[in-house]
Amino acid sequence: MNNLTKMTRIEIVVSAREAPSIRDLITSAGATGYTAVSGVSGIGHHGQHSGALLFNEYDTLTMLITVLPPDKAGDLIDAVREMLHGSSGVMFVADTYVSRPEYFR
Amino acid sequence: MSLLLRVAVASAAHDIVPSWPLDSFIAVNPLAGSESLPFESAQSLGPLTRQRTAYLTDRKRGRILLADLEAAVRLRIPELTGSITIGDTTLPAARLAALELEHDQPHDAAAGPRTPTLSRLDEITSRWVAAFLSPDPLWPMPYREHGLYAAWRSLIRHDSSLAPGARRRLRGLPEGPDAGLAWALEQLGVPADDVQTVLALELQQLPGWASHIKWRAQKVGDIDLTSFLAVRFSLRHALQMPPSPAGPTPREHDPAAELRGRAELLAGLLVGEQVTHADTSIVARVLAAHPIRDHLFTWQLAYELNYRGRLLSSLSTERAPVERPEIQVVMCIDPRSEGARRHLETASTIETFGFAGFFGVPIRFVRHRGKGAINSLPALLTPRHTVTEAPHDHVTATRRVAAARRRDAVDRALHAGESGTATSFAFAETAGWFYGLTSVLRTFAPGLLARIREERLAGGALESSVTVADAFTLEERAVLAEASLRMMGMARFGQLVVLAGHGSDSRNNLYQSALDCGACGGNPGAANARAAAVIFNDPGVRDLLAARGISIPNDTVFVAAAHNTVTDAITLLDTHSLPASHRARADDFIREQSTAADRLVRERARDLPGASPRHSVTRLRRRAHDWAEVYPELGLAGNAAMIIGPRELTRGVDLSRRVFLHSYLPELDPDGTGLETILTAPVVVAQWINHQYYFSSINPDLHGAGTKTVHNAIGTIGVLAGQGGDLRRGLPWQSVGVGASLLHEPQRLAVIVQAPLETIGQIISRNQVLRDLFDNEWITMTARERNTEPWMHYTRYGWHTAPLPPAEGAHQ
Repeated sequence: MNNLTKMTRIEIVVSAREAPSIRDLITSAGATGYTAVSGVSGIGHHGQHSGALLFNEYDTLTMLITVLPPDKAGDLIDAVREMLHGSSGVMFVADTYVSRPEYFR
Repeated sequence: MSLLLRVAVASAAHDIVPSWPLDSFIAVNPLAGSESLPFESAQSLGPLTRQRTAYLTDRKRGRILLADLEAAVRLRIPELTGSITIGDTTLPAARLAALELEHDQPHDAAAGPRTPTLSRLDEITSRWVAAFLSPDPLWPMPYREHGLYAAWRSLIRHDSSLAPGARRRLRGLPEGPDAGLAWALEQLGVPADDVQTVLALELQQLPGWASHIKWRAQKVGDIDLTSFLAVRFSLRHALQMPPSPAGPTPREHDPAAELRGRAELLAGLLVGEQVTHADTSIVARVLAAHPIRDHLFTWQLAYELNYRGRLLSSLSTERAPVERPEIQVVMCIDPRSEGARRHLETASTIETFGFAGFFGVPIRFVRHRGKGAINSLPALLTPRHTVTEAPHDHVTATRRVAAARRRDAVDRALHAGESGTATSFAFAETAGWFYGLTSVLRTFAPGLLARIREERLAGGALESSVTVADAFTLEERAVLAEASLRMMGMARFGQLVVLAGHGSDSRNNLYQSALDCGACGGNPGAANARAAAVIFNDPGVRDLLAARGISIPNDTVFVAAAHNTVTDAITLLDTHSLPASHRARADDFIREQSTAADRLVRERARDLPGASPRHSVTRLRRRAHDWAEVYPELGLAGNAAMIIGPRELTRGVDLSRRVFLHSYLPELDPDGTGLETILTAPVVVAQWINHQYYFSSINPDLHGAGTKTVHNAIGTIGVLAGQGGDLRRGLPWQSVGVGASLLHEPQRLAVIVQAPLETIGQIISRNQVLRDLFDNEWITMTARERNTEPWMHYTRYGWHTAPLPPAEGAHQ
């Protein structure tokens, strides 16, 4: 598809307190980077979540997004699934396509 | 395997709460990892209440009334709201359960403080971690730059304290902490299914180090819990100490027999010898709803209800004065400000407000003579705005910084001389007389030494300004200013508005930071007050505020100040920026605060160990300079409640410096945004502080730092009690107790709000942190919309009328 390379995109929404552990897993899995969006809002299994708070970044939700080659994604998916057994949060996994694959290997 | 092992480590450490270093001491709830569970479910981390004997003592001295116990039973067990008849007596079922509390037998539901016993493994681990983390070691740890595990792996083969056989067992240690931990667990034969449990139990053996390493992994990044556990389990293998299986098996007992025994005892006490089987059955049905494991929680709730009821009854309904105040003083919500505000307001010209001590300006602050920067903002935020202090006389400032650096170099050389193995004796011979003289002065004339120091500093003080415009755009400044004014309900402005940040002044006190401003990351709040004053005086900000409906009169001037919580002096800062037209007002304030401070120092002397209101204020203030003083002040001991509402609720009421006071007017915050910010930030910080005091009092060995008198500092990262063992967490005993008695009354924070209940309910329902804290009863919420309405108590099922104290004499 237009000279794009297939990759796996993993999005994880967790509380900001849990985000350091997830970031650690992402880097340990060999991902070359991630994007963090703090203060995300919504409604989920645990009820409503307010978005960004003026003076509290610690008790909001964070969305972490990473893209990595499919052969590296499996371990990270297993690890995050295991992590979410013990705490609240959700993970979305999807195929994605990138124009500069060397950035993600 | 490696990633799943990291997950096991992270999951094992889930309930470990990061602990900050001493130089930026942040109060935390040591059980914060369990806040998503009901308060009473967190018992695996040690007792959650005091011992029964402590409550019985409170019952005898009238601190807990029978009516409080009854109210606590009704709140905890709604089905016990009816009445029962035993023999010829009819009484409320809740009273029956309450009476049992006074007569039941001691039980072990809250078996005393649970302190891990230090093993040889703990001592060895602690020694290695301390050597790795020590920020200023005389002999730096070789290979430190490679991380804890790698450095330890390189050095352990030379550790002669380990037997040769033990060192031989470590020959197969792989490179890298993940592989090291996996290898050690395999050598020890830990089954894969037990790994997480075994890791969690291991972290509980040295909870102080584990907490600090968790903080450090997130903030510094030179160590993590995987490395720590890799060292720990490798040592276990070397010493042939396999991890022990999970905790003791629960004690077997027969609940039916226990209930029968309880019922027979109570029925016998109530009816006497004529007790019938039917009487015992009725009593048993009531007591069955209140099992023994719940008794201490009922006692604790009764203890809290007694205080909360008295507090609510004491609140005033006084109307706000209508005339424009001459001077307004905004102080931190810290309970220590309550005393200062109460005494300042005896002057009719002064009106006071309470607001988080960083004044809504979260900054990283760089002093012109400081080394590095401080994060002067709540720990809930990441620093993004750097404010610097710019002296007006740049040439003199540069010269003084150079001189200060030379003095630092000399100090470092002297320190190296007095600590060196080869030089310490020669150093003592040559420089000892000078140090001896200084020590004599410090010991016998601390006040004189302090005066010399203060005069030297005052003589060298340089005028300076803080560079707020570089850190925040005009729009950002206006947003912060508007948010602050709406949050604190400041609807009118006097001629002089004093923003008083606070800090504590003491000598030889490793826990100085714990006495500074919690909203400023354990730093003094003066820098934030200075930055806020600049923002509020900015004409551009005022124009934007006016466009948003907040009009600050042209003759209103904001000025920063510093409140010293040991001496209670409030010193105006940056007075060079005060216009001549406002100097008389500033002089009025200085005069009034001086009198108020003297009164407050004497008032505080009633509670301060070793002090007396009969002592002179000079003597009482000397504590700030006395290097042998372990009680320079009492900090936030006694904190029990937070009131969010107009000052009219509390003006003139002596709250004994036990209440966080946040000013708030719902009229200025129609959509509740300001209240949401208060509940999700100042309340959360106050709750951290409250629970730090609570658990440091309830369980001083596990969650507190022990007595200051045997503390040894490891740089600024923490203290050890004595020469080794675990890093201590929490507050020292001198913050919560004296001798064997508690100074602090451990009570969960009672949050009291005057605002529409619907708004409060909506805010709680959309914030997970508040749902956890209030629904799970880590703290409580009592509220009413107006003065004329009754106080209502929040529960996860809705609002209920709050229990108030009984009429005098009832159910004593």
